[in-house]
Amino acid sequence: MKNIKYCLSIAFLLPAFFSNAQTFNWGNAGNDPRHIININVNAEYAVTYGIGYNYKLRSKLPIILNAEYSFPSGKNITDDFKTRIGGQMDWAHVGNFHFISKVHGVFRRYENDYARLLNFGTDLSGVIGYYKSKWFIAGEIGFDKAIITHFRHSDLLKSNYPDIKDGWYEPSTGGNFYYGVQAGLTGKKFDVYAKAGKLTEQDLKTSPMFPIYGQFGVNVKFR
Amino acid sequence: MISQKNKLIPIAVLAFSLLACTKGKLITDEGNLVPKTVKSDPSLPSITVNGSMFHAEAFGNPSDKMLVILHGGPGSDYRHLLNCKELAAHGYYVVFYDQRGSGLSERYSKNFYSIQVMIDDLNAVIAHYRTSPAQKVFLLGHSWGAMLATAYINQYPMAIRGVILGEPGGFKWKDIKDYVSRSRDFHFTSETLNDATYQDQFITGNENEHAILDYKFGLMATADNSEDSPIGNEGPLPFWRAGAVVNRALFDLGEKEKPDWTTNLYQFTTKVFFAYSERNRAYGLDHAQLVSSAYPNVQLEKIDGAGHDFISFPAGWTNFFPKALNYLNSL
Repeated sequence: MKNIKYCLSIAFLLPAFFSNAQTFNWGNAGNDPRHIININVNAEYAVTYGIGYNYKLRSKLPIILNAEYSFPSGKNITDDFKTRIGGQMDWAHVGNFHFISKVHGVFRRYENDYARLLNFGTDLSGVIGYYKSKWFIAGEIGFDKAIITHFRHSDLLKSNYPDIKDGWYEPSTGGNFYYGVQAGLTGKKFDVYAKAGKLTEQDLKTSPMFPIYGQFGVNVKFR
Repeated sequence: MISQKNKLIPIAVLAFSLLACTKGKLITDEGNLVPKTVKSDPSLPSITVNGSMFHAEAFGNPSDKMLVILHGGPGSDYRHLLNCKELAAHGYYVVFYDQRGSGLSERYSKNFYSIQVMIDDLNAVIAHYRTSPAQKVFLLGHSWGAMLATAYINQYPMAIRGVILGEPGGFKWKDIKDYVSRSRDFHFTSETLNDATYQDQFITGNENEHAILDYKFGLMATADNSEDSPIGNEGPLPFWRAGAVVNRALFDLGEKEKPDWTTNLYQFTTKVFFAYSERNRAYGLDHAQLVSSAYPNVQLEKIDGAGHDFISFPAGWTNFFPKALNYLNSL
C-alpha cells in the first residue's frame, strides 16, 4: 500500500511540472526560437555524451519540453544508456532572478559481463538563478530516483550463483541527490553552458564511485 | 496553455508510473541477488570462533601438517583457491575459510572491522582446526591474504613454520597504495571504468545493506578480466559472494592507520616462498623484490604463463603447485 501511494504521488507529480535535463537562459526565453537542439559532454556516473531536442511551448508560463539520449564512453556504446523525457518550467521571477522546476521520466540501461539492468526512474530538480539576456549563473539541487529495475543475469554469473533471481525489483533500487552550479553565454543562434556539482547517495553519507557531475553543452536554436 | 496534444504526455507518464507499481522482488533480501551467508543458511559448512560464524572447510587428514589458505580482496572468498585442495593428497590438512565479512561468512557493520580482529580470527581458526600443539602450521596467502599472513607473522613470529605468499600488494601502506593504483589503472573513458561506475545510478544501499552492496561489488569483479586490466588473468574468477563492507572498511583503515607489518619480520628466519606472476604488469620483479625484502630469508619465484590469480587458472597452477609443494616439504 505504501508503495502504491508512493508511485501514485510520483505519477501525479510528473504532469504537474514538465521540464528537461538541459540548461537554458530563461532571461532570454521570450526571444528565442521554439526548437532547440542540444549536444553535450558529461561526467555523470561515467564520461557520457548526449543529444537532445527541446520544444518551447506557447504558454503563459515559459515551459520547455525535452527528450534526451546519452551514453557512456567505452568500447560498447549501445550496452549502457540513459533517456530522459520531461520538461522544465520557469515558475516565477523577481527581477532577473528566476525559479525553475524540472521533472524527467528516466529510462536507462546498464550491461556488463554479469548482468543487464533496465530501470525506470524520475529526476526532479529545482534551479534558482540570475538570468540576463546574454548570460546567466544559477544553482541547482535535484534527486534522481531509480524506481523499479529489471535484472537479468548472464550465464557467467549464474555459473557462480545458479539460484540468482532475474526479474523486476521494487520498490526503489536506488537514488542519488545532486547539487551544483551552472553558467552560460547566450548568442542569437547558439548557447554554450557548463555545469558542475556533487553527487551523494540517498542515505546522504555515501558517495557514488564517480562522486561529481559536470556537463558542457551547446544549444543550437532555430524556428 | 498546454495544448490537447501535450496533455497526452502526462497521461502516458501517469500510466507508466501506475504500471511500475507491480509487486517485485526486494534487492535487500538475501538469496535473491546474492547467496545467503552461514548465518541464515544452515546447510553451509561453518565454524563459530572468535564470536563469529565463518564459512569454512578442511580437507585431508586432521593430524597432518596444517596449511591455512587465506584469500584476497579484502572481501573476496576462497572459492577461486580450491585448487589448493590438491595439497591434501600430499600430506597436508588444508583449511579454507571465508574471512569475516567476506564470501559466505557473517557480515558486520563497517566500524566493527579492524586489522586486529582479522588477525584474531586467523588465530582462532588455527586453534579450532589444530589437533595437537606439535602440529606444524603453514599459511598460504594470496594478494590481501598474503598481507594478512604477514600481519599475523609480524605479531606472532614464532607461531608459523612456513609461509607461501602470492603477490601481496605490500606490507607497508605506501607499497599497497602504489600497487593498487597500478592494478586499477583504467583510462577514464574505458568500458571497464564505466562498467564499474555507471551502475551507481541504478542501485544504492546504505552501509549496512550488505545484500545490495555485495551484489554491486560483485558486478565490479568483471574489471579484473577485462582486456585492459593489467593484472593478466586468463578469465573471470569464480566467487560465492563479494564482501563490500569489509573491503571498504579495511581500505579506509589503511588510509587512516597507514599500517607497517614489517617491524618484527626480522624474527621470522624461516625461508619464505614469495611468488609473483609473469603476466601481471602492475607487479613485476621490482615490486616483488621491494615487498619481499622485508623478510630476512626469501625464495622468490616467478610463475610463468599466469597473471595475478595464478593459483586459480590451469597454467599458473601447473607452474605454481610443484614449487609450492617442494617448499612445504622442505620445511
